[in-house]
Amino acid sequence: MASTELQNGRRSIEEAIKPPSLAERMGRYRLIMADALSELYKSKTAFIGALMIVSLLIILLLTPVIAKYDPVKQDYGALRQDASAEHFFGTDRYGRDIYSRVLWGGRRLVAIAVFAVIFGLTLGIPYGVLSGYYGGWVDSIAMRAVDGLLAFPGILLYLLIVTLAREWHLEGFWNDLILVFALGFAFFPEAARLVRSSVLIEKQKEYVEASHTIGESDLYIAMRQILPNCLSPLIVNATVRLGFVILIIAALSFLGLGTPPPTPDWGADLSAARDHMESNPMIAVYPGLAICYTVLAFNLFGDGLRDIIDPRMQER
Amino acid sequence: MLIYAINRILQMIPVLFVLTVVVFTFVQLLPGDVIDTLIGDEQAEDPELRKALEEEYGLDKPIYVQYGIWLGKALQGDFGKSLITRRPISVELFESIPATVYLGLVGIGISIIIAVPLGSLAAVKRNSATDYIAQVTSLIGISIPEFWFAIMAVLVFSLHLGWLPSSGYVSPFEDLGQSLLYLVLPALAVGFRQAAYTTRLTRSSMLDEMNKEYVDTARSLGFSESKVIYKYTLRNALIPTITISGLQLANLLGGTVVLETIFAWPGIGQAIYLAIIDHDYPLIQAGILVLGIIVVCVNLLVDLLYRVLNPRVALN
Repeated sequence: MASTELQNGRRSIEEAIKPPSLAERMGRYRLIMADALSELYKSKTAFIGALMIVSLLIILLLTPVIAKYDPVKQDYGALRQDASAEHFFGTDRYGRDIYSRVLWGGRRLVAIAVFAVIFGLTLGIPYGVLSGYYGGWVDSIAMRAVDGLLAFPGILLYLLIVTLAREWHLEGFWNDLILVFALGFAFFPEAARLVRSSVLIEKQKEYVEASHTIGESDLYIAMRQILPNCLSPLIVNATVRLGFVILIIAALSFLGLGTPPPTPDWGADLSAARDHMESNPMIAVYPGLAICYTVLAFNLFGDGLRDIIDPRMQER
Repeated sequence: MLIYAINRILQMIPVLFVLTVVVFTFVQLLPGDVIDTLIGDEQAEDPELRKALEEEYGLDKPIYVQYGIWLGKALQGDFGKSLITRRPISVELFESIPATVYLGLVGIGISIIIAVPLGSLAAVKRNSATDYIAQVTSLIGISIPEFWFAIMAVLVFSLHLGWLPSSGYVSPFEDLGQSLLYLVLPALAVGFRQAAYTTRLTRSSMLDEMNKEYVDTARSLGFSESKVIYKYTLRNALIPTITISGLQLANLLGGTVVLETIFAWPGIGQAIYLAIIDHDYPLIQAGILVLGIIVVCVNLLVDLLYRVLNPRVALN
């Protein structure tokens, strides 16, 4: 008698936590998406931010089609022209089309930023989840290390790494790859800490205990069951971080420590424009506006998302 | 408090250790021979000098001994000589610190003057037009790269209106009037971005305070609204605000590398930048180390100050 009850109990627990089938999952995702959209309408900021991001991504994806000129092609017949129907934003001192340069530069910049943040998350999430999940001395040591990294001023690390890349004459892809690693690595302690604090709360919940009872492995519980419930603060943070990373990359290339010319680059183009500010101030305006637009888009979205996820904040 | 302070200082040790290791490794990772890197091309020809230096830095010994020798010298303020000016690096760096501190302090001062009234006004008039404008402005403020803001300010105030010098530095001890004239644009550029952060911070910590019970108590005792807000709430809200703006100093110091370069401001940021451009490796190494130590120490001071100002934190 007792053993059948036990078996029934076990079966119902298994029922409750068994992985959903594909159809169930798709249905659930559809619900989540619909839910997310309706939530998005709740915060004006998030909605505007999302619109700005989506239009930015569409423009950047379409760049090869809508950028009319080769961004590095020099045209000595059209030096320093003002905005016209031919050249929407005018041309620079080598006769290169600024509109095309802004578009191509954005593609590269946003791609680096996105990969950097993804890299940071890839390091930070498992680190934070496992640290929070196992707790005890593992957690103490792991978090001490994170504290140490957080106290390290990131900008100094970037300067060192960028200098190394410069001295080894890394260009193009390799230079960008180094940037991705440096910026991603600097994000990892923050991501780890954030995930860990959610995991600490989440692991007290009953479903975790239930999974333990039926003997799921620690790794499965931590990564497949706890983690998905800890993602929302992380998404907010990663979004805001994207804006921040873009600012850093632009600042480095503005200093001339980014990719060498003629690669189109918002920061470097801005810096080059300074020499002609008196005669042609507008070329210093477009790349700057592009940076502002992009960073603002991510900041708006992140801010609004935070309001949606944490309704306590929204009341304010 | 004392125990906390000691603990906190002990925590600094691993951070400083990592900082020195990173900076030391940086030189090892540069292309070429360490001796060439450290003393420059012309002198590296001289075989006797080479031999003497190899001995001095212990280059025939294992790497951790080399690190020890280097650290011992650095602790005594001996960073070697600049490859460009041939002057001792400690002197070069020491001379540049006052300019950075001057700019940083005035910048933070400007940001607090703008941000505290704006942030508290936004909180008090929550969800009004004022609040909305303050929020949008500060969100835009944190999305504008400071170097672009700086360029645009130069464009308007120096090139178009001709009111202010576009770059340069005069020591306040030589000619205060001139010095302030040169200070306006860089300090505004530092203060502007900082103000955007601090406004958001002041607003949210004001809102936190205004929801607390003592505010209701004060109101029910019949204190006037302005007394409740400006005497009690604001005072409490300022504690986290000032702390976090202190912690922002790390960001600010990073930002000075860019701004000092734009405005030819002879601070430590510009020194590092010029060293990177000139391949002056020992100066880069020492500059990053000193800037890093400053940031870590400032963070420590701010943290301790926070405890002193707000003893309740210790109880949590």
